[in-house]
Amino acid sequence: MTPALRTALVIGGLLALAPLVLPIVHLDVSIVSEVLLFAIAAMSVNLLLGYTGLPAFGNAAFFGLGSYGAALSIKYAHVHFIEAVLVGTLAGLVGGLILGPFLLRRRGIYFGLLAIAFGQVFYFIAYRFTSVTGGEDGMNFARPYVGFPNVHFSLNEMSFYYVALAIYLGIVALFSVVAVSPFGRTLVAIRQNEVRVRYLGINTDRFIFVALLISSTIAGLGGAMFALLINFAYPLTLDWHQSGDFVLIMILGGAGTIWGPLVGATIFVIGKDIISTITPLWQIFLGALFIACVLGFPKGILGSIAAFRDRRALVGAASAPDAQTPLPRGTS
Amino acid sequence: MVLLEATAIGKRFGGVIAVDDVSASVHEHSIHAVIGPNGAGKTTFFNTLSGFYFPDGGTVHFDGREITRMPNWQRVAAGMGRTFQTPSIFPELTVHENLQLGIWSQAGQAFRLRGGTRAQTQAVEARIDELLGFVNLASSRSRLVAELSHGSQRLCEIAMSLSTSPKIVLLDEPMAGLAEAETERIVGVIRDLRERLGLTVLFVEHNMRVVLSLADRITVMDRGRLLAEGTPNEISANEAVRDAYLGREVVDHV
Repeated sequence: MTPALRTALVIGGLLALAPLVLPIVHLDVSIVSEVLLFAIAAMSVNLLLGYTGLPAFGNAAFFGLGSYGAALSIKYAHVHFIEAVLVGTLAGLVGGLILGPFLLRRRGIYFGLLAIAFGQVFYFIAYRFTSVTGGEDGMNFARPYVGFPNVHFSLNEMSFYYVALAIYLGIVALFSVVAVSPFGRTLVAIRQNEVRVRYLGINTDRFIFVALLISSTIAGLGGAMFALLINFAYPLTLDWHQSGDFVLIMILGGAGTIWGPLVGATIFVIGKDIISTITPLWQIFLGALFIACVLGFPKGILGSIAAFRDRRALVGAASAPDAQTPLPRGTS
Repeated sequence: MVLLEATAIGKRFGGVIAVDDVSASVHEHSIHAVIGPNGAGKTTFFNTLSGFYFPDGGTVHFDGREITRMPNWQRVAAGMGRTFQTPSIFPELTVHENLQLGIWSQAGQAFRLRGGTRAQTQAVEARIDELLGFVNLASSRSRLVAELSHGSQRLCEIAMSLSTSPKIVLLDEPMAGLAEAETERIVGVIRDLRERLGLTVLFVEHNMRVVLSLADRITVMDRGRLLAEGTPNEISANEAVRDAYLGREVVDHV
């Protein structure tokens, strides 16, 4: 068993058992579902920003499209749970197909600004198109039946959590495979030196477009599940503040790491929940945390731990010069 | 046979004419140098050949077809490799990983979302060994490129440019900023590119001694214009070249 698979089994096992300890710490299971869905959204940012180096500052657009895709299909087409998730996921993909060709034309900060601007377009559509979307009030709905034949019930909070967990672990598995594939290595190379990648005969636009589509689809899936978790879709899920939260979660946990988004989402969602019961000024604490993170450990929590381990390994290798210790790796 | 032909290339940046009506013919299996004083437009000319920029006027033909406005990544697939004045590498990846990408690219495997089969991986590893053997970097295989010396980074970049199996290699000032011993290593590698791999080399350089001993054809540029083209003997005897650039003592010294 590889170390990566062992880590996955341990974390997956802990998450599967999490509902057992929640009553002890007075947390509701739905908040852990929210952690997983925010981790999924942060992973969609991670693929673009953490791996490929593209400032994905507008991924809430895809997340919100997923939310509205699910909500609108439930409200107007009376679809089941599974279909609503599929519609929301497809809405994210379609969003990527529409925005991708424009975003592709820019790099660096201009990519980020363009992503924010496009996201705001969707935000204002949802905000203004009151007759369909409910505008500022959003749209609520009852969680529909699952969608299997002869299953006449909707998911309760506990079963919803396990569905969210299965989806989250599925995306982790996808990332684990893609990250070490030639495609994933090419994305990392694009982050480091796009010109060189092109001079190795690779059409980087094509890679970035596919990364965008994967990212927007994952964000759409996360957004659809989020709407179904809270039985509600609202314009702020499309807003650039929401995009900023996803970026913050990713950076907090560790850019370019598999588990960083989960660590970041746990701190973000649960921290927000706890602090907001004490003071309405929870955003101050969040801001302070972000500043501390960027200044103190810019590689994020998991990135810093990995760097610390690598340094220790390096010291060990230096004291035993014959040892064939592999050198530290910045990106794996 | 002419492998790479530039005809009447022009390139301006705003009001500055960087390259004005420059032509050059690079013959197959030759080592061809582009020289000129600072600001002569050598690198700009070079960049229009490799597709880093597109020229405003003129045409570029490579291996029998016009490539004037072909995107740079397609030129690589067509058989062109290049290096940069400041080594263009992936600093946070190992030497091994730096070479992997070009091999995947050439084999049409870069787009795979899953790892390769055992046979594919073995073929890639064998090719990496071959490339590292050629530039003599086999001992640095698993080191991060950022940790290598400047000269070794340059050798790594040359190996990267070879990883896509080019017909021609374009080297932008391959000796810039290197110590004497490292310069000798690069000179040896450039010779080997032709002798052992049968490639064509086009390089930009201002170290005159290196150019005269290494190149068999030289294009001289000055202030964006073509000054002369010929063999090392013709160039070192050319009055206009002597006046504009070389300084008599350098040429006489050689």
